[in-house]
Amino acid sequence: MLMHIPSLKSKTKKTSITTLEASPFLYMPLQAYKTPLKPLVNVGDLVLKNEKIAKSNGVFAGSLHSPVSGKIIAIETESEFPHIKIENDFLDTCIEINSTSVEHLTEEEILETIKNFGIEGSGGAKFPTHTKYNTQQKNISHFIINGAECEPYLSADYAVMQQETEALLKAIQLVQKVIKAEKITFGIEKQHKELQSHLLKNAKKLNISIQIKLLPNTYPQGGELQLIKAVTGKELPKGSIPAEHGITVSNVGTLWAIYEAFYNEQPYIERIITISGEKAINRGNFKVAIGTPVSHILEEIGLPWNTENQTVILGGPMMGKAIYQPETPINKGSGGVLILPNPTNKRYNCIQCGYCTDVCPQHLMPMEFARYNTEKNIQKLYEFNLNDCIECGACAYICPSDVPLMKSIVEGKNLLHNA
Amino acid sequence: MSLNPYIKPKFETTTTVMVDVIIALLPLSILSYIAYGMQAIQLQLLAIGVALVTELISAVLVTKNYRSILDGSAVVTALLMCFTISPITPWYIVAFGAASAILFGKIVWGGLGKNRFNPALVGREFMATFFPVIMTSAGIWATTSYIQTPATHLFPGLTSDYLNSYLSGLVYKTSGAMGEYSIVAIAIGGLYLLIRNRISWHIPFALLAVFFACFWFVPDGDDLKFSLAGVLLGTIFMATDMPSSPTNTNGKLYYGGMIGLVTFLLLLGKVSYEYMSFSILILNGFSRFISLVFKPKVWGQPLDWQSRIEQIFLLTLAILGVTLAVISLDYYHMIPYLVYVYIVYIIFKFNFSFLKNISNPI
Ligand code: SF4
Ligand code: SF4
Repeated sequence: MLMHIPSLKSKTKKTSITTLEASPFLYMPLQAYKTPLKPLVNVGDLVLKNEKIAKSNGVFAGSLHSPVSGKIIAIETESEFPHIKIENDFLDTCIEINSTSVEHLTEEEILETIKNFGIEGSGGAKFPTHTKYNTQQKNISHFIINGAECEPYLSADYAVMQQETEALLKAIQLVQKVIKAEKITFGIEKQHKELQSHLLKNAKKLNISIQIKLLPNTYPQGGELQLIKAVTGKELPKGSIPAEHGITVSNVGTLWAIYEAFYNEQPYIERIITISGEKAINRGNFKVAIGTPVSHILEEIGLPWNTENQTVILGGPMMGKAIYQPETPINKGSGGVLILPNPTNKRYNCIQCGYCTDVCPQHLMPMEFARYNTEKNIQKLYEFNLNDCIECGACAYICPSDVPLMKSIVEGKNLLHNA
Repeated sequence: MSLNPYIKPKFETTTTVMVDVIIALLPLSILSYIAYGMQAIQLQLLAIGVALVTELISAVLVTKNYRSILDGSAVVTALLMCFTISPITPWYIVAFGAASAILFGKIVWGGLGKNRFNPALVGREFMATFFPVIMTSAGIWATTSYIQTPATHLFPGLTSDYLNSYLSGLVYKTSGAMGEYSIVAIAIGGLYLLIRNRISWHIPFALLAVFFACFWFVPDGDDLKFSLAGVLLGTIFMATDMPSSPTNTNGKLYYGGMIGLVTFLLLLGKVSYEYMSFSILILNGFSRFISLVFKPKVWGQPLDWQSRIEQIFLLTLAILGVTLAVISLDYYHMIPYLVYVYIVYIIFKFNFSFLKNISNPI
């Protein structure tokens, strides 16, 4: 049984992308793939818009740029979410970036720009994009664009595909110069099939040959492994590197950031997110600066910040995280901010219904994680392949007894990690 | 701190699962009323009442989980138990059965979901063990004089009398246990549960397919007497009971198939009346092993076919061994001793292990 969940996107799907007012303070997140970024600025420094303020080196190098001009007023590397705090001067003085025209860039220059402009996966895994595209002579047969935004409520990717179609396609063209895939396939869900002709028409105009793969409206269709299987038929185990199987997958949001980088000389300083949820007043798709605190977003749409009678979520309702600190910022991987009613807990004993196994995209037995996490039985957690869990939340969603499956999974993974 | 996911399906809780089962069982209750009047309904209400009171007392004394009292599972257990017995069973036996179904079928395991055996069938076996004279006498099935609405030909248009009574018998008859008066109603209940995804098709399909295939392969199978309605009731409502059946689809297919096979073997072994209960209870005992042996193939990982086939082989041997043992015990009228052993075992386990886990959801 594959799982269908209500898409809840209708309220925001068709709204046009609007820019959210800048926040007076920004909390630039320093987390990155593997190692945290190192600040390049000091407290008291003045920074310009687009100026690089933090970076890391190595294969998984990343960098962070200021989305506004202003003053560094704090650098917190030890806090729960390490960040650089910037006071916005609302002058938006930009740093000079001299660039060559897009047509004449070499492969290396493209990769270098992607790296320098801090572009990373917009899907949340923070994987640096230049590392992904640096396929080193590996033959890429398939470039898959992940347009399956399977999280309910979120429609930011849809908005980009619909409203920023040309930007998206131009970015694809550019990436193609590097990875040279034989085939380009857009994976979109059946519920959005109106996009099919729209994308094809625009691709034709630009002379790019793309294919569209309509995916079932099941959850989690946007998971990389699930998407690869649906498009190519290959079932890759968790942790494998798609490039080794001739596949590169990119998110719509990432490609939009690439377009901004090459055609507008703008580093990854803003992204498109969806603001929605039962308790949100002003729903829609918005362009917001990275580092914008969630409390500012709530203020902008006319809601007070509180965590008593609403739950504020960064990301989607299935895999996102509830936010308890008002300063928590939008990062490069957040697809949305949702304001939902508080969850109610109807906890019963596990009734062995097996629904969780039925819906698990990784074909695991989630109830066993709950069993063996309480026993702290590391051996069993390992034998039941806890490490293969992608934390998609499908099991916890469907469980009629509200067994604390996600809690067991998170705690269990910690146990395995420390063992 | 709350963890993802932050949305849940509306109206999908353990209670709604149970309410759906109750809805599917209601037509059977109504038919028992048509056949035997208030007497049948009184027994069912009594069983439900006793089951709920037992839940309440256990919640106060043992589980401290008050929400579980009204989760609906007690009602399902009580109804199902009634559906396997005669409408003229003495009321005190029914009360005893309902209480032991809840207590020894569920609570001693640590509450709903943790039980390995179907509580309704446990209740039934307790009745048979502690009231053997009444429960196994032929008299208890001599119900003719209590019938309120006799079975008639329901299809006046049909000219063939044989066909007419055969078809009418599918829709309504008056013989057998309280849940067996209409094959059509059982099937409709099953369809409802299938559509609502409260049972999956795997268990009923495999069970019936194997069961009827056996008649094909065994030459004198046609002489075996069994109640089709009883088999169907067990197939749809008891074999599919969630806590006591496997949790993955391949496991369910195997489990269903094995119940079909064991039921047939028990019939061959001259186990009368109880063949369906015994076969389900035997497989209940193996259900967790089946779930583990048929653990789904993890995404992208290889499957060790060799060890899986070996495990299935050993599992099948064990199930057949237990079946033969049950046939011999039944032949020597020693099934009650099994129940005594069960009681000692479960009380022991309860004291030393289940009680500690009582607040864990699994
Ligand atoms: S969270 Fe993990 S165990 Fe649960 S459904 Fe997703 S992959 Fe399976
Ligand atoms: S879905 Fe929940 S109740 Fe059902 S088997 Fe899984 S953990 Fe148990």
